[in-house]
Formats: sequence, structure tokens, C-alpha cells
Amino acid sequence: MRDRSALGPAAESSDGGSGGPVRVLVVLYALFALAAGARAGVQLSTRFAEAPVAYLLSALAAVVYVVATVGLVRGGRGGRRTALAAILVELVGVLVVGTLSLADPAAFPDETVWSGYGRGYGYVPLLLPVLGLLLLRRGTAGRTS
Amino acid sequence: MQISLVVAVTVVAGVLTLLGLASTLARRQIGLVHLAGAGLLEGLLVVQAVVAGVAIAGGDAPADTPTFLGYLVGALLIPVAGVLWARTERTRWAGTVLAVAAAAIGVMVWRLLQLWEASGA
Repeated sequence: MRDRSALGPAAESSDGGSGGPVRVLVVLYALFALAAGARAGVQLSTRFAEAPVAYLLSALAAVVYVVATVGLVRGGRGGRRTALAAILVELVGVLVVGTLSLADPAAFPDETVWSGYGRGYGYVPLLLPVLGLLLLRRGTAGRTS
Repeated sequence: MQISLVVAVTVVAGVLTLLGLASTLARRQIGLVHLAGAGLLEGLLVVQAVVAGVAIAGGDAPADTPTFLGYLVGALLIPVAGVLWARTERTRWAGTVLAVAAAAIGVMVWRLLQLWEASGA
């Protein structure tokens, strides 16, 4: 089993807290914070007048992802509550923006992270809040029982 | 932007993704194999950034240069951040952390190529 040891030392078990699966969630949120933030930065600084609403939504999405990332990293009661609020805003945002972008494409001449329920990003923006809510619920249930 | 470099990055990122998932399935933290893979990936990304930077400096810029540069620099940061974050994780999810980072690179590099070819040059 030489290749198995090359895979690294044996893992410790994850019992709730901010480690384990939640850390994978942190990576996903950090990636989307980066993606949405960079996209909003470019859009707002180079062509704000073309589609102000869409670009401000990109910026809002970036802020939501950053807040969720910070909340998840901090952990604890406060961190979890912050993350939960951000993830709920995210879920509403992706559903509302996704629906509007399909119903009224003229209002969204340029893509945002949440356009078409996140189709430009493999629908991960739609799956992420669901995954986030499930993991946060699981963590809370594990701690109270 | 050379297609051979993009393919090489994709292959290394794909292997690193599988290695990360493998260590999660084997209930292991990340090991030397992962560090070597991430190092190789970062090396390829640096080469790609230098090649693209030289081309842009030579006047061969993509149509949407700011976005292109955003992806280029973002891609350089992700493997480093992924390794740092995965190394401090003591549970088996360390590998998945790295796998997600590597998979993101695999996607980003094709988006980079797409942005580059939109130059029409």
C-alpha cells in the first residue's frame, strides 16, 4: 500500500465544528467570491453604463459570497448565523435573478453570476446554497444532540 | 495561449482532482503526491501567465483584456490557496478541498482560452 501512504497520513475524524465538509464549502464560497468579485470589478470599472442593474447585482452577489465565506471560516454560533443569512440571500438572489434573466433578457444584456440560475458556472450557484443549508443544518443538529 | 499548454494544465488539474478525491475516499489527509501535483500545476500556470503576458506586451491582446487578466491572476492564486487551506485540514476532507481547487483551474483554463481566442487575432 505504498501509494496509499503517499496519499497522506491517516485522517482525523471530523466531529462537527468548522472543519470537515464545511471546509469544502468554504473553498466553493471563496471561489465564487473571487469569481463574482472579479467579474463585478471588471464590469463596474470598464462598462458600468451599459447595464448598471446587472453589474450592481454582480457586485451584490460578490458581497454575499464574501460574507458567507467569512461566516463559515469564523464558525461558532455567530459565524454560522452570518453564513446562514448570507446563504438565504444567495438562494433568493439566484432564484429571482435567474427567473428575471430568463423572463426579461433585455434587462440583463450582460451575464451575471446568477443569470439563468448560474448556467455560466455549471449551475453551481444554484446548488451551492442548497448544499450550504444542508451542511449547516447537519452541523447544528449534530451539536445539539 | 497555446492549446498544448491548456491541455497539459487540464490533465494535471484532472489528475490532482482525482488524487484529492482518492485521499478523501481512503480517509487520508493530503500527502506528498498532492503537493507535487499542485506544484506542477502551479508551474504550468506560471508558464502560461508568462507566455500570455509576453504576448499582451507584444500587442497581441484579447478583446476583453481586463477579464482575461482577472482569470489569469486568479488561476495563479487558487492552487496556492487550495494547498494552504488543505494542509491545515486534518480530516479526510482535505483532499476534497484540493480537488475543488484543481477542478476550478481545469474549468478556468478553458475560459481563458475562450477569452483569448475572442481577440480575433
